[in-house]
Amino acid sequence: MQTTRINLNVAGQTIQAKEGETIIHALWAAGMADAVSTGCAGGVCGACTVTVRYADGKPGGTELACLCPVEEGMEVFPYPVDSIASGNPESSPDVVKLQTAFPTLNRCTKCGSCTAACPMQIPVMDSVLRMQVGKFDEVSEDFTTCIHCGLCRAVCEDRVKPHNMGMWVRRSLGMGASIEMIEKTEEEIKRSKSEWAYLLSEDAEERLKRAKEFRVKGFV
Amino acid sequence: MLEWALHYIDLIEESRKERSDQEPPELSEDEKENLIAEFHPDHSASDRPVQIGANAGGTPIPQELADLLEADSLLPKHFKPATDIETDVLIIGGGGAGASAALELQASGLQVLLATKLRLGDANTVMAEGGIQAAISSEDSPRRHFADAYVGGHGDNRVDLLKQLCEAGPETIQWLMSLGCQFDRNPDGSFRQRSGGGTSTPRVMACRDITGLEIMRVLREAVRQSGTPLLENHSAIELLDNGEGQVTGAVFWNRKDNKLVSVSARAVLLATGGSGQLRLQGFPTSNHFGATGDGLILAYRQGCKLDHVDTFQFHPSGTSFPEALAGQLVTEAIRSIGAQILNAEGKRFIDELTYRDVVASAIIKEVVEGRGIKTPSGRYGVWLDTPVIEMKQGPGTLKNQFPGLVHRFGRYGIDPTVHPILVYPTLHYQNGGVEIDLQGRTTIKGLWAAGEVSGGVHGRNRLMGNSLLDILVYGRKAAQSIQNQLPERAALGLSALESFRAERDRLGLSGNQSPQLFPVAAQVKVNLEEMVADDSSSTTETSPQSASTAFEPRDPFA
Repeated sequence: MQTTRINLNVAGQTIQAKEGETIIHALWAAGMADAVSTGCAGGVCGACTVTVRYADGKPGGTELACLCPVEEGMEVFPYPVDSIASGNPESSPDVVKLQTAFPTLNRCTKCGSCTAACPMQIPVMDSVLRMQVGKFDEVSEDFTTCIHCGLCRAVCEDRVKPHNMGMWVRRSLGMGASIEMIEKTEEEIKRSKSEWAYLLSEDAEERLKRAKEFRVKGFV
Repeated sequence: MLEWALHYIDLIEESRKERSDQEPPELSEDEKENLIAEFHPDHSASDRPVQIGANAGGTPIPQELADLLEADSLLPKHFKPATDIETDVLIIGGGGAGASAALELQASGLQVLLATKLRLGDANTVMAEGGIQAAISSEDSPRRHFADAYVGGHGDNRVDLLKQLCEAGPETIQWLMSLGCQFDRNPDGSFRQRSGGGTSTPRVMACRDITGLEIMRVLREAVRQSGTPLLENHSAIELLDNGEGQVTGAVFWNRKDNKLVSVSARAVLLATGGSGQLRLQGFPTSNHFGATGDGLILAYRQGCKLDHVDTFQFHPSGTSFPEALAGQLVTEAIRSIGAQILNAEGKRFIDELTYRDVVASAIIKEVVEGRGIKTPSGRYGVWLDTPVIEMKQGPGTLKNQFPGLVHRFGRYGIDPTVHPILVYPTLHYQNGGVEIDLQGRTTIKGLWAAGEVSGGVHGRNRLMGNSLLDILVYGRKAAQSIQNQLPERAALGLSALESFRAERDRLGLSGNQSPQLFPVAAQVKVNLEEMVADDSSSTTETSPQSASTAFEPRDPFA
């Protein structure tokens, strides 16, 4: 198949790219890897934030350069966002505690920029409104896929920090959970000892044989 | 997007209902071993012994890695280290192992500095999808976890390291929860545990298909709040030593300011991760931008032995199409809940939940024998039938449990609830690495290692969910060991490098420089020569004051 060459402009420089590749890979090929910060190149670390504008007039906006395919005539502007700490989580979180940690909580003017900026399609503004009324379980769910690129915070005119608050809510709710640790009864300790003794046979061949048997049964 | 593949997809759709309840094809143990011997990339005969250092003349290893181990340092010959920053503990690496070590050291009263090539959290950890193993159910035990991992690793695992790993599972989950990590639950409120390839009982805990993201973002937050000073965008170029076999610090290249920075430390923890970006044998990789095995190179020049570096994990389901996602991971968890692997004829050919090395070999075999699918860009793959999950588990299952996958493919107009995904093995994990003991100590005084850069615990094949556990358990173990056995500060020098260079000359080795730092494809230029003036002893224009005092933590409210 013939590969189509595409022209795009990144930070003021025109480069050529292959159809179907992402902005990041186009930058690598052009020797411009340093133009946009890169972390995972897989859409989960949030390092490669950019804004894009399309030649055909379709809506552009904020993007992750590692997930955004190149297009003819596209313009790309690096838009790095500094990472900041989100504040200490609190057990049994409520709106007052959230507001204390994030004084700008109620400054949201419902402009919707944050939702438009989110590369993960999180309903950010709606979630901020849910934060204001303490619907934390829903907020926690909203921010499940948040990669903390920081774009929602960077575009907010009113210094609301949606993703930081999302993190605060998720951690605060998560901190209450725990697993049932297996109780170290005398019987359990004895069983553990004898099973390890069985599994850790000195003879390597015997050890593998025993492990094969043990994994199926779960006991000696 | 998938127009070119419609005739294949028709075939898959026709057989879906009939296939959905069928048992997978069974292979005998001998058949599995033969499959690996014949088709696994570990056995492709492209390995060679390394000529220099502690592994010289030993087991053949991938030539790409051997080349880097034999290569010269990036440091100019006339460079002389002088302390720019002083710390008690230097952690090199900002992924899960480095971050958990930093947290464990938080209350120690020691001065800790975490340096990372990219930003804190830009690491393979954040990309982990499927989950983390821990024996927390009543049918399970750390012994059973051990047995599964030991059989999965072909009995070649370091037994002591593996036993400690499995025993630490439940407590590690508890620790993550105390930091605020959330794990998926069943409708009855109990924690959901899935099977992974080679687990004999459901043991994998997850946060949807973004478990690594959940863990890493919580660890990153906690580290930022701990006030641990960070050196981001600093690539480790070389370890420093005192001339008597003790590691005493490291030299970094500050990529943003294009400067060299020498750090003096009483203990150095290597938590530099893996090497998927070496793209062995031309395979694509699921690894992050910085996974170039730098820690292996640095430790090797100090005289550390590398364990199991002849074996790498090729994850069976890397993306083959679209081209923009080539190599990226499609989690094994999707096979745990029923996705089936099909060849060009629409037929299943392997038990989707057997060991990764077996599944990967089986896929390669299908392609080699002409039953693979060729993409418009010339890659090969086999189908992963994801819509069958919705058929079996009900509509909405994928969107709810695999939001990462649905989002990523959705960007390219592919809906995994409707269309199958094309996959091929991708270079995923460095099974081997720097030899460590139960406390994470290397054989060199002053140097610890944890996580993917270390080797031996997983044998020749790691099970799903065991590396997230590994980085946390051994990151914290190393931190505890460092606290208990902190050496006194000693002089900064490059005698290990000087001996290494002398040995290179004796052997007549020439060629490239290492560590590689970035993927070859990224064409990042690293030239340290011009940074070092001939007559200078220190490389940075730091005043005596800033050279001797502690590093300022970044303003958390900035």
